[in-house]
Amino acid sequence: MSEPLRILVVEDEALILMQIEMMLEEAGHRVVGTAVTAREAIALIPETRPELVLIDLRLGDGSSGIDVAHAVRDLGGITAAFMTANARAIPEDMEGATAVIAKPFSDTVLGASLAYLKDCVRRPPPGAEVPSGMRVAPNWLASFAEMRA
Amino acid sequence: MEQPDAWHQTDRLDAEQGKGDPFAAAVRATRMAMIITNPRLHDNPIVFANDAFLRMSGYDRSEVLGRNCRFLQGEHTDRGSVALIREAVEARTDIAIDVLNYQKDGTPFWNALYLSPVVNEAGEVLFFFASQLDVTDRIDAHLRVQQEKDHFEAEVARRTRDLTEALATQTMLVHEVDHRVKNNLQMIAALLSMQTRAITDPAARTAMEAMLTRVEALGTVHRRLYQSNNVERFDVAEFARDLATDLVRGSGTDRIRLHLDLEAVEIPVSKAPPVALMMNELITNALKHAFPDDRAGRLSVTVAPDDTYFTIRIADDGVGMPVQVMEHRSFGKRLIGTLCRQLSASIAWQANDPGTVVNVRLPREMAGSLEAS
Repeated sequence: MSEPLRILVVEDEALILMQIEMMLEEAGHRVVGTAVTAREAIALIPETRPELVLIDLRLGDGSSGIDVAHAVRDLGGITAAFMTANARAIPEDMEGATAVIAKPFSDTVLGASLAYLKDCVRRPPPGAEVPSGMRVAPNWLASFAEMRA
Repeated sequence: MEQPDAWHQTDRLDAEQGKGDPFAAAVRATRMAMIITNPRLHDNPIVFANDAFLRMSGYDRSEVLGRNCRFLQGEHTDRGSVALIREAVEARTDIAIDVLNYQKDGTPFWNALYLSPVVNEAGEVLFFFASQLDVTDRIDAHLRVQQEKDHFEAEVARRTRDLTEALATQTMLVHEVDHRVKNNLQMIAALLSMQTRAITDPAARTAMEAMLTRVEALGTVHRRLYQSNNVERFDVAEFARDLATDLVRGSGTDRIRLHLDLEAVEIPVSKAPPVALMMNELITNALKHAFPDDRAGRLSVTVAPDDTYFTIRIADDGVGMPVQVMEHRSFGKRLIGTLCRQLSASIAWQANDPGTVVNVRLPREMAGSLEAS
């Protein structure tokens, strides 16, 4: 694997957070920070300079992952993806995020999703098909198609 | 004071109806208020009023004779009723109607009016005859009953609203419980998954992974329950869609195509966990054994109602199950057997040529339960 992705994980359930961290590290990526609330995540972004932010929808203190997605979109230059068991609650345009990964996910699904997102970050457009269990925002799909053309 | 020709008018009445007619005397003396109007005179005035009418209306005879009856109407008299009476007069027909009238001093009373034309042999209308009865007590009683009925209906509506709200609260609480149970199952799954990473022994790892999918299947049951509007019924078809999709996705290969043929089947919520666990065993079995060495193939999951039963069918076009495996009493097979016993289900494993097909037939309701139809 080439240079590992710098990833910020935003997830309010400590055990799930720990599990995702383990999965990411085993897949050869680098978790540069973890946050359990939207406020914590937004504060950590400039400090940790992630390339990819993985965001749970329901966060601690009743905050929402959508706010984190907005902050990422406003900063620009960083890729965001939701991870949620309730993918239907994510608006169609995904609020600036690139994709939604459906929970629960296996190692294989997470691996394929991360490979796809790594292409999005490092050398868009991604070469692979969108992995099953993952949905990509329509505006991103359109811009990938434009790049390929 | 009484007009002198008042008696003359009634004399004429007597004359036309026949002299010495005892009926005329009866009309004068009866306790039923009665008047006669003459439509051949301008504005159809009253030409006769008996004493009962004067008592009821509070007017003197001189104040009513020669006048149209509309002086009885007042502020709250229904215009529609008045129009009906006018139409009846114009059409020369009779009418019976309850109308709100007013006495001379302004006291309102309900008047059960009966009006009918009096026709001579030539078919001409000579008079209108009207009898009046003060039915204020009856109408008041009717209105009181109506008010009580309205009050009762409002009370029923209020209680229904309370009960609906109570039910919504209960549903919300049950959903909250399902949500928490799902979260706890997800935590158990996370713990199992992390623990599994540290295990190097392949057999132990496989066992842990099997446990993980079982916990996740139960988690999916509770996720479906808290997303459902009905806290008592569980849709097997929708669950099968979620479970099969998750399992095929989690199998780590893109080479297995999932085919779903699902018809809604609702079962009591208490049956959901064993049904879910059994489906999980059958689908993971197929995924594990049917497609070795990254073999491509098709897995089909069918849920269909069958009278008071329903069937679950899991079919693959893989390598087929060797007889040894089919007879092997693994933990998974024992689990399936136990769950079938709990659900009073029958199960059949058959060769699918190629592949394997498993048919499970289950009663929809609990054996001996009140819900059994």
